Amino acid sequence: MFHNKLSYGRITFLVFMTHAIMLAAVLFRGNYKDITDMLQLTTAVFALDIVYMIVIRFFYKQMTYTTDYLLLMIMGCSVIFQSCFGSIGFASKHYITCVLALVCCQIMFLLTRNHIRILALKQYLYLVLGVLVLATVLLTGSRSMWISIGSLSIQPSEFMKPVFVLLCATSIMEQHDKKKLILFYVSREMIALTIAFFIIFVLQWWCRDLGSLPTFAAAYGCAIICRICYPRAKFSKGTLITLIVLGIALVALLASAAPAYVQDRLSVDIWEDTYGDGYQQCQALMAIAEGSLFGKGPGYGKLINVAAADTDIVFSTICEEWGFFVALLIIFFVASLLILPMINKPRSYFHATMVMSVAAVFVVQMGLNIFGSCNLIPFTGVTIPFISQGGSSMLVSGMLAGMLKSGQSPVFRRPDAVRQNSRRRERAA
Amino acid sequence: MKKKEDMKCIKRGEFLTKLLIAIFLIGMCVLVFKIVTEASFYMKHSNHVTLGCVYDRSGDVLFDPDADTDTYSYDHFVDVGNLIGDDSGMMTNTLVSENRTLLSNYNPIFGIMEHGQSAIYTTLDHEANRTVYDAFGSRDGTAIAYNYKTGEIYVCVSKPNVNVLDFEDVDSLPSGSLICKAFYRTVPGSTQKVSTLAAAIEQMGFETVSNKTYSCEGVYYNNYGNEIDCHSSYGHGSQDIFRAFQNSCNPYFAQLVQDMQLQPLKDTFRNMGYSVNNSKAPELDIDGISVFRGSTELDDVNDFDTQWGCMGQSKTEVSPCQLMMWQSAVANCSNSVTKPYLISYVKNVFGNEKDESETSYESAGFSAETAAYVREVMLENGRVKYNDKIGYNIGAKSGTAQIQDGASENNLLVGFVDDSSFPIAFCVVIEDNAGGYLSTEYITSTMLNAIANE
Repeated sequence: MFHNKLSYGRITFLVFMTHAIMLAAVLFRGNYKDITDMLQLTTAVFALDIVYMIVIRFFYKQMTYTTDYLLLMIMGCSVIFQSCFGSIGFASKHYITCVLALVCCQIMFLLTRNHIRILALKQYLYLVLGVLVLATVLLTGSRSMWISIGSLSIQPSEFMKPVFVLLCATSIMEQHDKKKLILFYVSREMIALTIAFFIIFVLQWWCRDLGSLPTFAAAYGCAIICRICYPRAKFSKGTLITLIVLGIALVALLASAAPAYVQDRLSVDIWEDTYGDGYQQCQALMAIAEGSLFGKGPGYGKLINVAAADTDIVFSTICEEWGFFVALLIIFFVASLLILPMINKPRSYFHATMVMSVAAVFVVQMGLNIFGSCNLIPFTGVTIPFISQGGSSMLVSGMLAGMLKSGQSPVFRRPDAVRQNSRRRERAA
Repeated sequence: MKKKEDMKCIKRGEFLTKLLIAIFLIGMCVLVFKIVTEASFYMKHSNHVTLGCVYDRSGDVLFDPDADTDTYSYDHFVDVGNLIGDDSGMMTNTLVSENRTLLSNYNPIFGIMEHGQSAIYTTLDHEANRTVYDAFGSRDGTAIAYNYKTGEIYVCVSKPNVNVLDFEDVDSLPSGSLICKAFYRTVPGSTQKVSTLAAAIEQMGFETVSNKTYSCEGVYYNNYGNEIDCHSSYGHGSQDIFRAFQNSCNPYFAQLVQDMQLQPLKDTFRNMGYSVNNSKAPELDIDGISVFRGSTELDDVNDFDTQWGCMGQSKTEVSPCQLMMWQSAVANCSNSVTKPYLISYVKNVFGNEKDESETSYESAGFSAETAAYVREVMLENGRVKYNDKIGYNIGAKSGTAQIQDGASENNLLVGFVDDSSFPIAFCVVIEDNAGGYLSTEYITSTMLNAIANE
């Protein structure tokens, strides 16, 4: 309850300093022709810092701000990274999506902080999920996940993530109301959730977008485990082991039945196929090696010429320009967002499950992106939350961050600290 | 009660979240380890890293990534082109292609350093190499020489070669230009009789072998009635091993093989590094350059092919480098072969030197006593046939290898200089030299003189 020791002033300074140091790195090591190339970027980053800090501090009071500060720090870094890929400029589109993501974060925070209300609205969540599924089937192109409106592309399936996470977090009250169905004691909610997951699974398979499937599977898996581990779950160890074995068998079966392009990625030796299926990963690994610990310098990267350099292999692009150390640091910042609810504990079981599902989605997405692009696991086209370019992904990441924030307990000031402050004020008076 | 259950569930949820984050962080640790340990490997594939130069033992440049005809004479690198290679990626199994990590101006911490000082300093003598290359004239072939005490390779020439300053179209190059033939398979001809002699002494003892005399009438019919021709149609008459070795008498060696037991013969050849009847031969590489050792088929000591294989024909193949290496054991009267090396020392990106020269040995496959006896026979052969022509006291064995079913003949000479102050072992191969247009003695003499004049 009393772990949040950073004051508003100190943490504001920290965020400003982080961005200032990064911009100084761009100034001294960056690839720009004229110093005015940096002007727009510098103004935009500091403007966002100032406006957000003021809004948070004076117009929108909360019980805890740590997630906001961390998120703002990550967003600023992300804008700087994206603006420097290949040459110094200003990634205006990415900047706008970052601002919108921050707004989404606050909206989702307001929507989900009251778990009683969310539990009451859970039938509408299924409705929203149904609408998103129908939108994907009816409005996107043939077997595609994208809706194109002019120059704007939206991926409705991305927005299924926060809805599905909320579905996973709800229904906990139903755990006491289980009925035996063939072998297991299950609740109606659990059956509904499984059907929802199955529909998403079929949709992703049909659209040949198997990259996002593990993120949904991770959230669903967490929800299942939560229910299995519920004190009155009536699950025996034997049933648990049977379920795990069945799960593994199912994954193996799906891997063997996966489409040819997936099979190729599962079995490719990238160094034997450096200009074919292994091209992106080889280039990504070479870029990391070339960047080494301190990077070539912002704007000096060559990986930007490779497809998906600012999305699917963005970790390597950052490594190349900023160095391995900075890339690891930014990933640590994103991971810290997930660690915060471990410090400010979740207030309810709903929030604990929600935080866990969000963590599962973020961890799987980051893992698939980073480990996939570095050839530790098969390569899939998913994004790193907040870092990769992509409107839908960024907005959804903002929403999920809002859920992380709402999952935390309010932070109170220490009673003795309050007393000390009042004494100081008295003395000063 | 319900509140307690809820707290329990929250803690379990928390535990699972921590577990997820921990798994991810462990994955990140694995990634860091992978990148740190494999970064140099990734850089081998990178086109953005600059390479340093390769130098000979006196500092003359053998490879320069920025080389052009303005800074070097047109044929400056022509004698070492297929040995040292270039950075085009079209040549493999060369010093540059196999040592890009050492040559890269790359540091795992500071990354690509455009003005790094990475360099490789070799044991080669460029001037001697060039002299030997020129001595081949219009003939193709290979010549390799090294210090049989330390392992330093001084000369390694292969013709035809490739001029890295004027090299664009691979198809327009003569066959064999892109490989250094000293490291690849060739038919050894009668130089194989050195190995056969070593195997015979291993099996029977030198006394038995030296007491054996066989008759040569120009043609010999073996136990199965197959005809073994001698290059002298008049025959050499009755001879002992010294005379037979000097005469390179095929009937003598056919009879010697016939008197040997098959299994010990195969064992000795395997121990020497041969792949016998498709068995796996131990791998050999010189500073990353893969070298063929030898292969033969031995099925029956009375059989024509086995006998002929022991005389360096039939299916027997050996690399000139391996032929030279056995000479080190013979010259040193040792049961060990001195392993050759090309890299003397290297400089890293910061210019710090690291000594890479280390004399190492491997088993010769025969005993020191056998080596001493073979040395005696080879020195006698050198005294009688080569010392005057070459100008050095050498132990040697010549060979004539019939290739393409006898349509062409290669001439070979392997040996060593019997001088502890000039301990050189060598192997020379002149291709398609049936008319004796160019003598192996001339190439050897030129090579030894060039090394001595360093």
